[in-house]
Amino acid sequence: MPGSGMDISRPGPAAPVRGRSAAAWASWGPGFLLLAPLGAFLVVFYAVPMAGMVVESLGWWSGDADVRDGLTLNQYFKTFDSSRALGAILRTFRISLITVVICLLLSYPIALWLIGAGRGLRTAILLVTFVSLAASLIVRNYGWLIVLSDGGPVNGVLIALGFIEFPLRMTYSEGAITVALVHYGMPFMILPIYGALQRIPPSLRDASLSLGAGSWRTLTRITLPLSVPGVFGGTILVFAVSMSAFVTPLMLGSPSTAMASQVAAEQLLVQLNFAWGSAIILTLTVATLLLVWLYARIISKVFKIDV
Amino acid sequence: MSESAAFRTTVAILAWTGIAFLVFPVLVTALASFNEGYFIEMPPKALSLRWYGAIGDIHRIGEAVLWSLLIAFVAALLATAFGLGAALAIARHPLPGKPAITAVLLSPVTVPMVAIGIALVQYFVVLGVAFTWWSVAIGHVVLVVAYPVRTLLASLTLTNSGLEDAARSLGASRWRAFHTVTLPQLKPGLVSGFLFAFLISFDNYPISVFLVRGDVTTMPIELFNHISNNFDPTPAAFSTVYILIVSLVICAAEWRYRIVSLSIPKT
Repeated sequence: MPGSGMDISRPGPAAPVRGRSAAAWASWGPGFLLLAPLGAFLVVFYAVPMAGMVVESLGWWSGDADVRDGLTLNQYFKTFDSSRALGAILRTFRISLITVVICLLLSYPIALWLIGAGRGLRTAILLVTFVSLAASLIVRNYGWLIVLSDGGPVNGVLIALGFIEFPLRMTYSEGAITVALVHYGMPFMILPIYGALQRIPPSLRDASLSLGAGSWRTLTRITLPLSVPGVFGGTILVFAVSMSAFVTPLMLGSPSTAMASQVAAEQLLVQLNFAWGSAIILTLTVATLLLVWLYARIISKVFKIDV
Repeated sequence: MSESAAFRTTVAILAWTGIAFLVFPVLVTALASFNEGYFIEMPPKALSLRWYGAIGDIHRIGEAVLWSLLIAFVAALLATAFGLGAALAIARHPLPGKPAITAVLLSPVTVPMVAIGIALVQYFVVLGVAFTWWSVAIGHVVLVVAYPVRTLLASLTLTNSGLEDAARSLGASRWRAFHTVTLPQLKPGLVSGFLFAFLISFDNYPISVFLVRGDVTTMPIELFNHISNNFDPTPAAFSTVYILIVSLVICAAEWRYRIVSLSIPKT
């Protein structure tokens, strides 16, 4: 039954179709058929629920003052009026930005070093990166909870060295959240940068060095610019992951360091305010996608590459 | 010609600093798990294995692990099967608007997970369907399906579609040619896609917390609850065992299927 799933198997905006002839439709048949199961699944359990959430966010909550019928932007006005919701969104943005920068600074040297490392060592470090990616986020956050605790190794070393007399309170703060998010993001940063560096022909670097450019000049003039696509991919992933952080601020933060996902979840799970919770999480989603889009535009303009 | 010694030393020092940062909390957790006392002390005053024996005392942890295994297995299996079809369609067949289709398929990774959870819980409430382990598994498929799609696309660009054509022209049926020629070539992509889908589902909290009701519970939910309410080293023991198992599985998959090179993004 070729073609039976055609209509629902086309997620996303319809592409501009040139020469929509019968022959073209026939040649698309097998592709559509293969795409149909996933397409149908994502329409039913992803696109429609997301659309439903948009509708929910445009409605009234039974606890709102002055409830009326019909659609309203009330929940969005509330999001921008509430210091808690807006504060959480701005804090989420600030933490994500800092996380991306630190993550990049820590990850780039690792990727650069991996290129020159021996085969065995390289595979070992890549496997460590993979295990880190696959090890439970809760497990990793718990590790930071111990590391930064009052009796933990960081306080232990600081006290032993005589810098402080009493343990510093490091957990349940924005700093602790940022450290854990950097740790969470590093594999997402290392792998794309390593991939980009791997594709730079070694002859370019050799030519630059043999023509007398020096190691640092070669890095800034040849290697760094050519690795921009990898840096772009990594920074986007880490930014998106940090913007949607939920478990990490729950475990390493306090109510006063709440991030956007937490505030939205709290509206749903505690207040049962589906409308406002939906509006908050949609504001976060749209803000994230807009910032990612803007960033892509700037990168492609400045570096003249397709991203 | 190569870089100066000073340059290479600087890069190596910075790189090992980063690697130490990556490994440090895992090592500290392992060390903490051997603490004798109830409160974690660094370094431990006395060593003991008692917290490994206490893993079973974490509330409902046994059932939670079993539920998580079931949900992760079903979610990863569905995601890999769906992903195989989609990756074949994108890599091997003419389709209009391929970049847009690919972008939509990979988008659940960029959308906040809590958004997926919130959207699905409202959807199931509106539809009036009962919440079972299936609801959780469906939420996880949406989240993890991008991973098999990605690894299978990478795998397909490495394989030679001419081989399948050759088998067909030598008289093999379409299914036989796919089954005996293409599928074996896709094994690394299937294995790493399944593995990542499985591990990400097994570890998910932000979607599960909205969809878990009644009898059903998952490992991350029970572990999270225990950590929130207790300060004993039992989670450290659990974490150490968990990381050991994950490391073994990943090393085995790398040794057998070379999954690492397949998962390096090709921008």
